[in-house]
Amino acid sequence: MARKVLIVDDEAGFTKLLKLNLEKSGEFEVRIENNSMKALASAREFQPDVVLLDVVMPGLDGGDVAAQIQADPALSGTPIVMLTALVSPGETSSDAVAQCGTLVVLPKPVNLEKLTATLRGAIG
Amino acid sequence: MPDSAEGIKVPPLPDETGKSSSGQRRDAVTPDGAFLGGVIDNLPVAVFAKDASDDFRFVVWNKKQEQITTLKKEKALGRTDYEIFSKESADYFREVDLSVIRRGKMIDVPEEIVSTAAGEVWLHTIKVPIRDEAGDRTLIVGISEDITERVRAREQLERLNRNLSEKNRELEATQLQLIQAEKMESIGRLAAGVAHEVKNPLALLLMGVEYLDSGIKEGDPHLADILVEMREAINRADKIIRGLVDFSSDRQLALEAMELPPLIEESLLLVRHELTRNGVNVDVEYEKDLPALKIDGAKFQQVLVNLFINAIHAMRDIDRPKLEVLVYSDTLVAVARDEGVRTAHHLRSGDEVVILEVKDNGCGIPEKNLSKIFDPFFTTKATGIGTGLGLSVVSKIVELHGGTIDIRNRLLGGVSVRITLKVPGTQDAD
Repeated sequence: MARKVLIVDDEAGFTKLLKLNLEKSGEFEVRIENNSMKALASAREFQPDVVLLDVVMPGLDGGDVAAQIQADPALSGTPIVMLTALVSPGETSSDAVAQCGTLVVLPKPVNLEKLTATLRGAIG
Repeated sequence: MPDSAEGIKVPPLPDETGKSSSGQRRDAVTPDGAFLGGVIDNLPVAVFAKDASDDFRFVVWNKKQEQITTLKKEKALGRTDYEIFSKESADYFREVDLSVIRRGKMIDVPEEIVSTAAGEVWLHTIKVPIRDEAGDRTLIVGISEDITERVRAREQLERLNRNLSEKNRELEATQLQLIQAEKMESIGRLAAGVAHEVKNPLALLLMGVEYLDSGIKEGDPHLADILVEMREAINRADKIIRGLVDFSSDRQLALEAMELPPLIEESLLLVRHELTRNGVNVDVEYEKDLPALKIDGAKFQQVLVNLFINAIHAMRDIDRPKLEVLVYSDTLVAVARDEGVRTAHHLRSGDEVVILEVKDNGCGIPEKNLSKIFDPFFTTKATGIGTGLGLSVVSKIVELHGGTIDIRNRLLGGVSVRITLKVPGTQDAD
């Protein structure tokens, strides 16, 4: 059965191509959420195996969304992979982010090979 | 100067007839006249006289002169300078005395330093030649004022003044640094913002390339090549942005105590492919028992890799390319400032330092470019080979480490890069 990936990122063009790439092999089933304010609702509904989360987004940022997911009893423990265009990884480590145990940070642009390997690793 | 209420007592003053109140005739103008002798003896300035016709032996030596020289009159009279002062001082006094006689007039020595038993004394001395009427006896009469306190005060003032101007210069330098830092900070913010905005479309482009790449099976044989080129272009754009942010950001270093050699070995491994491909002969030499340094390993590796890559690129058309890496410790003698040198303010003379030298035998740097090599985006490499950020980032990282970098052409061709890093815990603790 395909592993479920929730992508939360406001870059619609990027998420569309990402979904195409990830679903191609049949290994992953992807749901896109371009509005971070709806990320929690989408996650509750989709019950993903892993969340791929952008950091800088309008509304709630990646750290906020991660904290929401970790605080939700039904979603707590869901592995989160951060994907960011920020240059310095230090900028990503806000307090909320630091609380998430299973957090991996990947820089944009990332190639598919590295991304799928990271997703597999996070799901375990 | 005696200061008793009764004042200074001297033998009685001769009256108009030239007789003293005791009735004895006295001559007020002969130096041995008792009254005049008393006056001279008690003047608030040092007075002495030497008989030039008698080997410059002292014939007058007043109380102030006793005070200044800490030598009693009884011990001084009848003696020469050579029997009283050091040979060096005596030679000097004799030279002045002879000059006074030769010129036949007064000589004013505004400042002279005299060694006495009590230490060094600064004097303002006036020497006058006095001849008797017959002309067969010449006296050198000297009047000295002790100006030691004045000179010391002036010296202190000069010292304070020097300190003040030095502080002023430091202040100006700090101000310049602040302006520069402020400038860099705004460039840093700008760069980070631009980077974020550019990396998102790059990420999209890469995903597009990935998708197309996986879809190619047959058809146009150029498609695969085109995608490889596009992928490389995305990587290049990403590298430029990263370099710009690295250069302009003022991030804190993660300093750890470590030695240079293992870091150099690791960095050489990272460029092994380039070294082999270009047939570069590597010669590494480390001094034994090098002291550990405080280094941000990841950042410093960036420095080393950049320098190695530069060297390799510079040796592309050389017959026997040779990369030399030397590490040794030293004590800093003087901190140089020159073209092609980035000097941080942390290094001072006397500091214990570790010096890293990276030398190649490549094409060298044209003299006209030496002053520009640290400027961001200055490059002589072809598009796609260099971004012009390598050395800017290198110098920035070295500066952040409180070190200096000095790049110059070698006499027999090629470039020598010299990085000087302070050994922590030597001299001051900053």
